[in-house]
Amino acid sequence: MPVTGAAKPEAESSEAEMKPPLPSTASSTVPADTRASAGRPAKTIETRDVNLFHGNFQAVEGVTMTVEPNKVTALIGSSGCGKTTFLRSLNRMHELTAGARMEGEITLDGHDVYGRGVDPVQVRRLVGMVFQQPNPFPTMSIYDNVAAGLNLSQGKVKRVDRDAIVERSLRGAHLWSEVKDRLEKPGAGLSGGQQQRLCIARAIAVEPEVLLMDEPCSALDPVATLAIEDLIGELKTKYTIAIVTHNMQQASRASDVTAFFNLEATGKPGRLIEIGPTEKIFTSPSQQATEDYVSGRFG
Amino acid sequence: MAPAVRAEYQEELDRLEESALGGLDLVSAALSRTLEAIEHQDVELAQIVVADDDRIDGRYLEVHQALITLLATQSPVATDLRLISALLHVLKNVERMGDQCVNVCKMIPLTGNEPPSHPEMVKLILAMGSQTKRLISQAKRAFAERDVELAQDLVRQDDAVDDLNRDCFRLALEIGDDADRREWAMTMLLAARAIERTADNAVDIGEQVAFVVTGLFREFEDASHPAP
Repeated sequence: MPVTGAAKPEAESSEAEMKPPLPSTASSTVPADTRASAGRPAKTIETRDVNLFHGNFQAVEGVTMTVEPNKVTALIGSSGCGKTTFLRSLNRMHELTAGARMEGEITLDGHDVYGRGVDPVQVRRLVGMVFQQPNPFPTMSIYDNVAAGLNLSQGKVKRVDRDAIVERSLRGAHLWSEVKDRLEKPGAGLSGGQQQRLCIARAIAVEPEVLLMDEPCSALDPVATLAIEDLIGELKTKYTIAIVTHNMQQASRASDVTAFFNLEATGKPGRLIEIGPTEKIFTSPSQQATEDYVSGRFG
Repeated sequence: MAPAVRAEYQEELDRLEESALGGLDLVSAALSRTLEAIEHQDVELAQIVVADDDRIDGRYLEVHQALITLLATQSPVATDLRLISALLHVLKNVERMGDQCVNVCKMIPLTGNEPPSHPEMVKLILAMGSQTKRLISQAKRAFAERDVELAQDLVRQDDAVDDLNRDCFRLALEIGDDADRREWAMTMLLAARAIERTADNAVDIGEQVAFVVTGLFREFEDASHPAP
């Protein structure tokens, strides 16, 4: 991993032409209580010719797209089209599966996410993930659930700073007022929607640059879903968000950009068919396959 | 969603399009009767047109409600969404065209049983009406066939109606000093204006054809910013 920083573009060494390393967030140097990140410019994810494999099976082929900063990008497509695999490749979770392989390039603000020497754990801290099933640590308290990521990624954090981060994260996830009087109670005791917001609080506690969400509302009722969608709308002012959803209305309601994935036939890899402003995808898509999918004319 | 449910939805959407466009046939029939009532100063026929407008309004309400139900229950997007939006516009225009026929027919008793009519002006108004019927028929065909070129041609057809309307105006100016004749001519000008607006409604339907096909709405002719 080269150590030439982006702040020194004029450097003439050969290293200067190489991609700079992933930036460390301000979290390790700036006191927690001053790290309010509202309105900050978020980071861009760009992928170029991304191919993803599970062993010999190619799940995704040739995806080139941009996940724009401070926008919500929805990934839609039928089951098995590779959208979740693609999402998981963005923070190097794909490689956690045995036999998984990736070709192509994925960059975060120009920094190669798969560059030599890049620590996948660091990538996953910058690019957080919220899963389909809310997965709080069941025996941990609400407080500890939020602080868990901090302990893992930042080592020892002063108690006073940790309190501030936990409160800010719970507020950011619209959960604070509901749990502030029972922070020591187990996270598993919350409702499904609250648990999902707890997971979002845990994800944003470590101040990521990007939030990936894999069907975050599929296990939730409409009221909890709406609460999460409202939250997503607010979070995009701070983060870059990519969300996989099977709910067309959710994609049309909650996203700014929609990317449609499809596969030609069973057994073939999934491909990006069309990406564009959500409004356009749902009113006048340019590809017939997109039109058929969003209109429910499939099968 | 099960394919059968989607097929039912598609059939319902097709049926509603046919029903909305069928409203144009009702309007065309109402306009024919209106023209006949003008030509023969037929007050009874005019009253029938006024009473029969309930059928057009009924068609509007029935199809409008069914389209709203489809919006609420089927969450249409893309082409379907554009089509439903366009059909709501078509319905509004159908309803307005029906009302314009009513407006004209309500004027016929005002002109008296034996009005001091000016045959040439009546001829002009009947020509406007015939041309407007052609526009209505062409708008319907353009919509049903998603034919943008045919829809755009409505502007040219509408220019002929506008020319005839201007001719009416000129005739009215020259109609002389007799008070009764002038009153009749003024009333006929209002009738001509109503028919001219009906033709404009047909052009509006043509604009919706372009929207359904391309996803972009634009006025074929912008009255506030006319082409140089």
